Amino acid sequence: MMTPLEARELARKVVALTLADEAEVLVAAESSALTRFANNRINQNVAEDNALINVRAVLGTRIGVASTNRLDDESLAACCEAAVAAARIAPEDPSFPGLPAPEPAKEAVRASESAREFDAEARARAVAAIIEPSRSRGLTAAGKVRVGTHVVAVANSHGIDVGMEVTGVQATVLSMGETGSGWASFLGQGTEGFDPAAMGEEAADIAIRSANPTDLEPGTYPVVLGPEAVADIMDFLGFMGFSAKAYEEGRSFMSNALESQVMTEYVNIIDDATSPHAMGLTFDYEGAPKQRIPIIEEGVALRPVTDSYWAEKSGFINSGHALPAPNSYGPLPLNLEMLGGDATLEELIGMVKYGVYVTRFHYVNVEDPVPVTLTGMTRDGTFLIEDGKLTRPLKNLRFTQGAVEALDGLEALTTERKFVGTEEGATLVPGIMLSAFNFTGQTT
Amino acid sequence: MKEVIEAALEAARLAGADYADARIVDSSREEIQVASGRVEAVERSDSFGLGVRVLSNGSWGFAASREVTTAEAARVARQAVGIAKASALAAGDPVRLSALEPARGTWSGPCEIDPFSVGLEDKLALLTAADEAMRAEPAVTVTKAHCGFYRERKWFGSTEGAFTEQSWFESGAGIVAYAIKDGEVVTRSYPNSHGGGWKQAGFEYVRDLDLVGNAARVAAQAAELLTAPECDSGTVDLIIDGSQMGLQVHESVGHPTELDRVLGEEAAFAGTSWVKAADVGTLVYGSEHVTVTADATVPGSLGSFGWDDEGVPAQRDPIVDRGILKGLLTSRETAHEIGRTSNGCMRADGWNRIPLVRMTTVSLEPGTWGFDDLVADTGEGLYIETNNSWSIDDKRLNFQFACEVGWEIKGGELGRMVKMPNYTGITPQFWASCDAVCSADHWQVWGLNNCGKGEPMQVAHVAHGAAPARFRGVSVGVGR
Repeated sequence: MMTPLEARELARKVVALTLADEAEVLVAAESSALTRFANNRINQNVAEDNALINVRAVLGTRIGVASTNRLDDESLAACCEAAVAAARIAPEDPSFPGLPAPEPAKEAVRASESAREFDAEARARAVAAIIEPSRSRGLTAAGKVRVGTHVVAVANSHGIDVGMEVTGVQATVLSMGETGSGWASFLGQGTEGFDPAAMGEEAADIAIRSANPTDLEPGTYPVVLGPEAVADIMDFLGFMGFSAKAYEEGRSFMSNALESQVMTEYVNIIDDATSPHAMGLTFDYEGAPKQRIPIIEEGVALRPVTDSYWAEKSGFINSGHALPAPNSYGPLPLNLEMLGGDATLEELIGMVKYGVYVTRFHYVNVEDPVPVTLTGMTRDGTFLIEDGKLTRPLKNLRFTQGAVEALDGLEALTTERKFVGTEEGATLVPGIMLSAFNFTGQTT
Repeated sequence: MKEVIEAALEAARLAGADYADARIVDSSREEIQVASGRVEAVERSDSFGLGVRVLSNGSWGFAASREVTTAEAARVARQAVGIAKASALAAGDPVRLSALEPARGTWSGPCEIDPFSVGLEDKLALLTAADEAMRAEPAVTVTKAHCGFYRERKWFGSTEGAFTEQSWFESGAGIVAYAIKDGEVVTRSYPNSHGGGWKQAGFEYVRDLDLVGNAARVAAQAAELLTAPECDSGTVDLIIDGSQMGLQVHESVGHPTELDRVLGEEAAFAGTSWVKAADVGTLVYGSEHVTVTADATVPGSLGSFGWDDEGVPAQRDPIVDRGILKGLLTSRETAHEIGRTSNGCMRADGWNRIPLVRMTTVSLEPGTWGFDDLVADTGEGLYIETNNSWSIDDKRLNFQFACEVGWEIKGGELGRMVKMPNYTGITPQFWASCDAVCSADHWQVWGLNNCGKGEPMQVAHVAHGAAPARFRGVSVGVGR
């Protein structure tokens, strides 16, 4: 595994090899391992080492991209030549603003020694501890314990020269009984705060409480969403609505709605890779520094996120949200946060007279992009709330609901927040209470 | 390559592996996209590496590296054995593999024109022409024209004596027109959504799709969708086009009959299945009109190969025969658990991933109906085309799909266009409501190169043969 300094050196070397007017090189190296378990035993256990070089060559305003994971001199030269050859044939793009110039990125340590030390034996012991609470209660556990180290460096012919190391430890557990199931998860930079036995207990407890689920008539109900469910909604809002490309093309709910109240005043959404608690890179895949961007403030739409191209196109400053070139998705926020409120999860449940508590969603997809109408299922702990208390488990419910409309009915949030996702795209979310959520079906 | 594989296998044996296999994969990809008159992507990528899978004391270990040398192969093999030994700290019953005659030989897929030999100029010219033709429609404000090409060479060997070499090309292309107005976005795609059409073939497939010739129709339909009404909520007799039928088969027959899901091995991520292993031979999956096969021998299909990534030869197997569950998609490990031998469905997404049970070409076999006859026979109902959105629960029972476009059926003819029709159902009830499938004249194989499964996530290239089919009493217009 190369170091950030070695990755930067390699990126600079390949920039120099690229015979183009402008050149940008991304180096992305990874060493990762994942121990997977099911039926109360380890069933898959894998590790990999890889490194990718991505070259963007620019001739005038013509652009070509090539990548390879072969790092010998001959292959690197061939990769540069392939990028230049593609650029030579591509038509001029008058809207291309040129590759970005260097700007200082925030220095941050995003790697943990504990992640580097989390070897196959340590992961297996963690798995055994996660499984035990399920096994001892006649339940079946499945999930994963993953560790990853990523080294990313970007250099370009204008002097961008950045690199850093990011580590992550992630664990999930599904505990299953005959009729009920429960879920718990962990995401951190290292193993600090990772308590496998407690995670296993949490999932097993939910599995037992969700046994023998009952029916609920489809309809619109108040809901309390746990952080995992909130993260799904946030991720789809980010993908469909928060990009300057979607905004400029009229595909975002924020198109023509900036400075407007689009959700309740309790909703505050930012993208912030610079905060002390953030995970992941502090620069984007063009090497531009990631900025703290308030996207929704007290329910008012403020601005989308940008990369160098869409900053020029939209007039917003470059917020440092580029993906690797070529990028047909446009810029995306990878460090989304919903700010928390002042309640506990129990207090949110206490606010509901008759409604539904959702631990997490499953297989969510977009039916209508502008209102971000989503459909998906609930999973691993869906409960009826009656008079402010969880009273009985429910069979998994299907929902069909506009996310923007749902957040316009947000009434309260938990103080406590949780990271969901991976170290390369971690979403920090509270639990929330929504006044109305449309459930359209149920698993039999 | 053989020397490197043998070095890996020998090192695995010496480190204590009871079984090992090694795969070297050398792949290249080219992606080109023109969007709204601008070239958004011209990209070429290469990936090369080695993966070693071992069984030691009944537990699995796997390690992979991008360095393909005999020394690195030996190191990776020892790492895989070390990982397998760590697995023993939380092991269950020892893994056993079903019996297999060691595979030896070579296989290659069909290809008339090597797509990597065709100049970028020709590809860009085709996409630019299609993009321009769509932009001639004023209501269409965003357009995309895309083509992609993939080449893979793969070498496989095992400690049982197998050694195979396989190679193939994949080619694909598609166009999308977006009509956007007043906060509404409608889309129309050709020949399919989510990446267009794909085959194991050369550039001839992309040329024959005639993207340019279809662009004006696609754009006009997108424009018409802007003013079309939404699909009414209710229960209708529904005719689903072949492309959406392919995805319906994928989600509600293919995935639930993967034996690793059935046995709970994918429970935490993709989910389990409503199907049980003991259901084979007795479970009523659908009506007598529903016959589904899994076939890895269909020429030109994304689901075809010579041997799977365990060295099991490609084969054709019944999954559902006239409504009754007859088979499952299996691996050597899962097949052994139910007392069978593997039917060759293990495939990995590259050198750095382990093989998982994946679909091959899982197809709804054709029926006897002509399409016009089926519409006429339906009288009143709804006909829908081209997937827009999909979702299904963790047991593959409760699904909801949305399509790009629909047409009301009135008096036995297609009538008014409706936008974004969606429908929902429960898998066995839905397939039980199938009372007609169109004939082989309307049947084609739809390539699907974005099937996600496993952790780390793997993306498989699979395919589904399907023709339009009719389902009675389906709930549509959900949540509208």
